[in-house]
Amino acid sequence: MRKKELKLVVTFHTTADAMAMEKACKEQQVPGRIIPVPRMISAGCGLAWCADLEDREQIAAMMKETGIEEEAMHECMV
Amino acid sequence: MNLSDSKKKLALAGVVCGLVAACLAYFGNPANMAFCIACFIRDTAGAFGMHQAEVVQYARPEIIGLVLGAFIISVATKEYRSTAGSSPMIRFILGMVIMIGALVFLGCPLRMVIRMSAGDLNAWVALIGFVLGVATGVLALKKGFSLGRAYVTNKESGYVLPAIVVGILILSLATSLLKESQTGPGSMHAPVIIALVGGLIFGAFAQKSRMCFAGSIRDVILMKNFDLFSVIAGLFVVMLIFNIATGRFVLGFNTPGIIAHSDHLWNILGMYVVGFAAVLAGGCPLRQLILAGQGSSDAAVTVAGMFVGAALCHNLGLAASGTALNPETKELVAGAVPLNGKVACVICIVVCFIIAFTNKRKETK
Repeated sequence: MRKKELKLVVTFHTTADAMAMEKACKEQQVPGRIIPVPRMISAGCGLAWCADLEDREQIAAMMKETGIEEEAMHECMV
Repeated sequence: MNLSDSKKKLALAGVVCGLVAACLAYFGNPANMAFCIACFIRDTAGAFGMHQAEVVQYARPEIIGLVLGAFIISVATKEYRSTAGSSPMIRFILGMVIMIGALVFLGCPLRMVIRMSAGDLNAWVALIGFVLGVATGVLALKKGFSLGRAYVTNKESGYVLPAIVVGILILSLATSLLKESQTGPGSMHAPVIIALVGGLIFGAFAQKSRMCFAGSIRDVILMKNFDLFSVIAGLFVVMLIFNIATGRFVLGFNTPGIIAHSDHLWNILGMYVVGFAAVLAGGCPLRQLILAGQGSSDAAVTVAGMFVGAALCHNLGLAASGTALNPETKELVAGAVPLNGKVACVICIVVCFIIAFTNKRKETK
């Protein structure tokens, strides 16, 4: 089994925002991947963006630029 | 202990829910309808006289238990969050659509899996439709489908559905106001206390594991993620063992007495509707009850839609009939979907496409 690591997890208000995030990240080659929202963060069944902690600033800047609003940014074991 | 941090533990949650379903089947719930959200909501709607199909009227304690189980565990573990405001009337329609699709097939996704575990090949055929429906919903998500965000609201808003189900429980136990089938599937049920406790346990584990039949397929298609799928797999394996061990496993299509039909096209299209609408609504019928229990008024509106949809199915003659033996002639009478049901199913598919491709995420840029 893959070892869990401390990661940056961005959650969104809607699944559509998460899908928009994935699209924007692919287009702009911003690192990370889409994952189900980790259960310790939320009781929802939505999607989240998972990336390395050091990519936080790049991700935040890209989201601001593209107008994608996060619900929250977490650091947790994924 | 965190019950949801690995696939093994998630599968264990599925096993527990499978054991609950097996117990309920053992103690009297109808054959391979051990635990079906669509059927049980339909029965409960019948108990209130929302429809007049006399064989399917009974206030199922399992539904009450599911909502309360999710409510209690979410409050106890601080996951209760009262939210609302994500296109409620569209969700109401999706609830109706889900129910119509489910009653054309004769079961929700949970019952589909239970039927699959009992060797009912019709359910395996329907699985094709369900997966295609979920895939169509995923396509809509990729195209930017959104019903808009939900907002945190007064916590009392989230208490309404749990309070209503408590009211149903009191009415069913303390009065004779509710209708109760004397024959047919509605008359077959586990004792109230067992059904209620079973529902509470199922609801609590479903809440912690985020069990969702549509979500599990969605995550596999979208992310190759099998977390939610492992919950369903656990449930399937337990029910398979139970059915084989108790001689309830009958491989075949036209099996009489199991409340299923072999109208393949409509089994596929019925579950296509359910899969499609469930992804749009953010969860299968089970998940809607759980989300409503943990505070989502949007999910509670979907549940209300399911109640109305169930009533419509029987009042307008949309629900399918199951294959059965004629008690006098002992001839096999094939179950079928009535014309009204077929028309309604097609309308539901059209409605799903309209909802899926007209509700778009708003760019905030």
